[in-house]
Amino acid sequence: MRTLRSLQSAKRLKLIIALVIPSIILILPTSVFPFDGITIIQQRVIALFFLAALFWVLEPIPIFATSVLLITLELLLLSDSGLTWLQHPTDASFGTMLSYKEIMATFASPVILLFLGGFFLAEAASKYRLDQNIAGLLLPKFGKNPKMVLLGLMSLSAVFSMFMSNTATTAMMLAIIIPLLKTFPANDKSKIAFILGIPFAANLGGLGTPIGTPPNAIALKFLSDAHLTFGKWMAFGVPIVLVMLVLCWLLMIAFFPSSAKEVNLSIKVDFLKTPKAKLVYLTFVITILLWLLDFAHGMNSYVVAMIPVCVFITTGVINKEDLKAISWDVLWLVSGGIALGLALEKTGLATLVIQSIPFDQFHPYTVFICCSLIGLIMANFMSHTATANLLLPLMATIGTSIVNMQQVGGSVYMVVATTFCISLGMSLPISSPPNALANATGLVQTKDMAKVGVLVGLIGWLLVLGMMTILYLIDFLS
Amino acid sequence: MENVTIILVEDQREVLQAIAKDLEKFEELIRIEECESAAEAETVMKQIVDKGDYVAVIVSDHVMPNKSGVDFLIDLNNNPTFKRTRKILLTALATHQDTIQAINKANIDLYLEKPWKKEELVFAVSTMLTHYILDAGLDYTPYVSLLNSEILFTRLRNASDV
Repeated sequence: MRTLRSLQSAKRLKLIIALVIPSIILILPTSVFPFDGITIIQQRVIALFFLAALFWVLEPIPIFATSVLLITLELLLLSDSGLTWLQHPTDASFGTMLSYKEIMATFASPVILLFLGGFFLAEAASKYRLDQNIAGLLLPKFGKNPKMVLLGLMSLSAVFSMFMSNTATTAMMLAIIIPLLKTFPANDKSKIAFILGIPFAANLGGLGTPIGTPPNAIALKFLSDAHLTFGKWMAFGVPIVLVMLVLCWLLMIAFFPSSAKEVNLSIKVDFLKTPKAKLVYLTFVITILLWLLDFAHGMNSYVVAMIPVCVFITTGVINKEDLKAISWDVLWLVSGGIALGLALEKTGLATLVIQSIPFDQFHPYTVFICCSLIGLIMANFMSHTATANLLLPLMATIGTSIVNMQQVGGSVYMVVATTFCISLGMSLPISSPPNALANATGLVQTKDMAKVGVLVGLIGWLLVLGMMTILYLIDFLS
Repeated sequence: MENVTIILVEDQREVLQAIAKDLEKFEELIRIEECESAAEAETVMKQIVDKGDYVAVIVSDHVMPNKSGVDFLIDLNNNPTFKRTRKILLTALATHQDTIQAINKANIDLYLEKPWKKEELVFAVSTMLTHYILDAGLDYTPYVSLLNSEILFTRLRNASDV
């Protein structure tokens, strides 16, 4: 009980800190802020930004709950339909209020519906065991050599996590290999490689598609002017995933070599052949094709995402109970990030703050390198999505409002690079839910995770910087 | 973080203490309440719920004076407050009829025989705790060291968490 008591009192302390600091910011006079012409509304946004940051870092309440808190406070403090006695529209220093409709619309923003489509595909795939059957069909192709089996497991984890959530992918693949690992000799180091390889590959796979992981959703929101299509994202996302996957695999077999000659992995393959199951397979293929071929048919990826939602709902593939199992918490977590970005942008605070920092004194490449590194570091210690929620609006503003930054491509490159670096944060059990699951097996030590995680993070960071430079030189994203 | 409780019900004090001793490792994060009768357990559970805390798992003996373990678990099964609470019957002396009642009317989750093996009991409680924590929608991350990871993976497979 001592451990529980100390956890509980730590949580209380965190809650107090996360409430007190923003409250102090809220009641200070505007003159103490080092920004010329700051409005009362902008001051409130600063307080809300600190509130969100502290709640997302310290986690006194679940991270999606913080998003809902943030959106509600925006409605009360910043919107044109907020509390009357907090509004002073005649006062010149009050600033412009946000439209309450715009704040509420973050719950149904196109990127949210894109993710909903992704969730429907994943839910249907797991309900009709499509994911497990594909794993069972493809894994034997990698042979019996432990190194190749590991490569097979990691490749499948990466591919699945491009379309399913990283957590669900990791949980599925770990469930497949845990019984297998029990047959390994007790001191065989390669067990660590198997347990770590799966979550790492799942984290990496998230980079591959716009729906791979929630930070990508926030990125898309800030890239809406760049017309970054599904196929275009995959054109540079998938190569990064491939290179990182191979590097990660090499690190795993170098650090944790196997003493076994042969690994026998047998998974029962039993593809369902009912009409509904066939409909699921077909819808899956057609949706992905439509996402990739948007230039041919004109529907953007958000509109395409509604097709699986509609097909599965109308045919009962996803019924009322399945609908309740959809991760609404993830969608709301992303909504909170979009709402925070909206407040920073529409009140003009982001531009005001970024312009008051003398970024011009630094080489734009230095700024670029530092920003992506900050993303990587933060994501190791807190939720990837929460990191994206906090950082990406600032990155987008740095990219657009600092003239120099055009030399490295401006906001598109800043946002994409930071988003990718966020997904590379995987050195601790708290870095991401897939890492937490690997930790839950009790078969890996934090130092092993940290050793490979830090290397993968740093190599990945350099690779992303290189990739962005190349993309900029060939002018791929504009 | 929530207070999650495991309730042990057993009329013989030495046996009760032996069960508690075997489940010691859970005490790091979970409260374990030792009750010597069904009536005592009912009082304790009401207090827990009144405080807004959670009754995750019950491990109950069957043959006890006044109210039997099976009758206690049947009442519990009919109480919507404890609909998610996982029920383990730990007994040597249940008749065929008692066992039928335990399954049909008390909806027990597990039947363990006395004398029990420590690993078996710990495994059973950890499995039940895993189910309860996920059913109740509690954050499982602080508890992972106490949970059954295979059950955790199988159940999370279907959840499109972040």
